[in-house]
Amino acid sequence: MAISAQTFDGVSEGQEFTLEEATDSQRLVIWAAASGDFYQIHYDDKFASNNKLPDIIVHGALKGMWVGKILDQIAGRDGWVKEWDVAYRAMDIAREPITVFAKVTGKREENGEKLVDFEVGTRKADGSVTTPGTGTVRLP
Amino acid sequence: MELTDEMKAAIGKSGEPTTYEVTSLGIRTFCRAVGYEDGIYFDDEEAKKAGHKSIIAPPGYLGMPVWNPNGPARRADFFKSPFTRNLNGGTAVEPLEHVYAGDVLEAVTTLTSVEILPSKAYGQLMVRKTETAYKRQSDGKVVAKTRGTSLSY
Repeated sequence: MAISAQTFDGVSEGQEFTLEEATDSQRLVIWAAASGDFYQIHYDDKFASNNKLPDIIVHGALKGMWVGKILDQIAGRDGWVKEWDVAYRAMDIAREPITVFAKVTGKREENGEKLVDFEVGTRKADGSVTTPGTGTVRLP
Repeated sequence: MELTDEMKAAIGKSGEPTTYEVTSLGIRTFCRAVGYEDGIYFDDEEAKKAGHKSIIAPPGYLGMPVWNPNGPARRADFFKSPFTRNLNGGTAVEPLEHVYAGDVLEAVTTLTSVEILPSKAYGQLMVRKTETAYKRQSDGKVVAKTRGTSLSY
């Protein structure tokens, strides 16, 4: 379920937004078509197994774009995603749910813009963060 | 090994421009994969009602390179690397302007740093950082910048 658009005055430091994302093989194949990343470890069980992986794995770039999506939902149509970055620290095995998060770390006004900074990333069911990063959104 | 003169000389250099096409099909496929639900990204009428000329690309979607099996390699190396295995270390995205279906972008990548670091797992790890600027052909505006980190061992 989408997050509703936020306002600068409506968010507070420490507040966390989350989205649950499915990582089934069909979704990874759609991402392969969307991104042009057709490396077989993301959709071919036998290829993944031959590369000593327990299962196909989620594309790192897809995780990065989920982070972009959560920031975009927070920004809404009247805000703007200024930037975000993620580091790909560990693999996520497919067919396991991923939580995408954006936690407010600060609010500031700069050059007339109301900016909110976030700690962002993707989290596995065991709580480990495989794709940590930061993001900044301009809010109305 | 240490950085060679060739590697040091490559820092600050830019590659040849690559053309990216932003199509409505590409935007919608991206939306379907990532799970966008706001109609401005896939419904022309909704986008026009919101004041846009067509559907817009969600942040981070910058189209696809024009496929040409007879053209030059898409990503030319800035120098000859002694490492053969590569990992994507991370990505940063800085959206600057709305990107529309029908836009054609020219992307130029610049090598911003190269380091060879000790690694517990691999012995040595080469860390290459790049910045890519995407310029819209129709008005010359830079619509986004991305920064990438690639790891080689």
